[in-house]
Amino acid sequence: MDDKIRRIYVPMTETGFYILFCLQRPQHGYGIGQQVRQMTEGAVTISPGTMYGTLSKMEKDGLIRLVREEDKRKLYTITSLGREVLDIEIKRIERLYRNSQEKI
Amino acid sequence: MSDTKLKIRFYTIADFNEEEIWLREEHKKGWRLSKMVPPCFYHFEKCEPEDVIYRLDYKNNKENEDYMQMIKDFGWEYVGKCVGWLYFRKSASSVVNENDGEIFSDNASRSSMVEHIMKTRMMPIMAIFFCCVIPNALRAADDGVSAFFAVFWLVMLAIYIYLLVHCGLKLKKMKDNLE
Repeated sequence: MDDKIRRIYVPMTETGFYILFCLQRPQHGYGIGQQVRQMTEGAVTISPGTMYGTLSKMEKDGLIRLVREEDKRKLYTITSLGREVLDIEIKRIERLYRNSQEKI
Repeated sequence: MSDTKLKIRFYTIADFNEEEIWLREEHKKGWRLSKMVPPCFYHFEKCEPEDVIYRLDYKNNKENEDYMQMIKDFGWEYVGKCVGWLYFRKSASSVVNENDGEIFSDNASRSSMVEHIMKTRMMPIMAIFFCCVIPNALRAADDGVSAFFAVFWLVMLAIYIYLLVHCGLKLKKMKDNLE
């Protein structure tokens, strides 16, 4: 992974993390939005302009790739580079969580 | 009483928030936006008064089917387009949380829209100002061509200075607040 990707995506925004996390299986933007809403009980909602922009940027940077198009909807899935970024993020968040449970 | 009306309103490239609020107010009064004609003509149709949220996105004609489908999937109705701006609306009653009523849910994407406006709209205005309006205004003032041209270029000069200052400052402030 080059420094540019690391600088942009580590650490990630909540929006970015959930999108990448959901793309562990192929999905389109609206599907991701629905899944994130469900997972967070409505606490995190991603609007369409932000969803579209994030997907385009992640595709350009090689974190996700287009699988196919279905009724004008693009289905994406995570790439190995995206997987690498996601694993780094998951480890970081786990550490954050562990530390937050300890007494100071 | 007529079922349609035409309103004239000037909104610059930096006034999209105000434009959204105005369109929502009109809809609340029972007038739904049906068509925009550049630079300042808004056509409305009579309808049942309803609270409807309007949102503008600046795509500079780069929108594609995939984007339009995603916006639609998220419950927005496409109203139309006017010099690179897309107009969307959604009933306020279908909005359960704040981001449901927005096209953008984070500052990074809001900020990149403002940047897009600056690059593709402010730059051309500046180019025209420096390469066309200023030289012509100077020449008209200098060699006293016809009074008509002198007045014309003076008015142009005033309009461009207003646009540059008003839009430049407002867009910059928006961007600063988002970062």
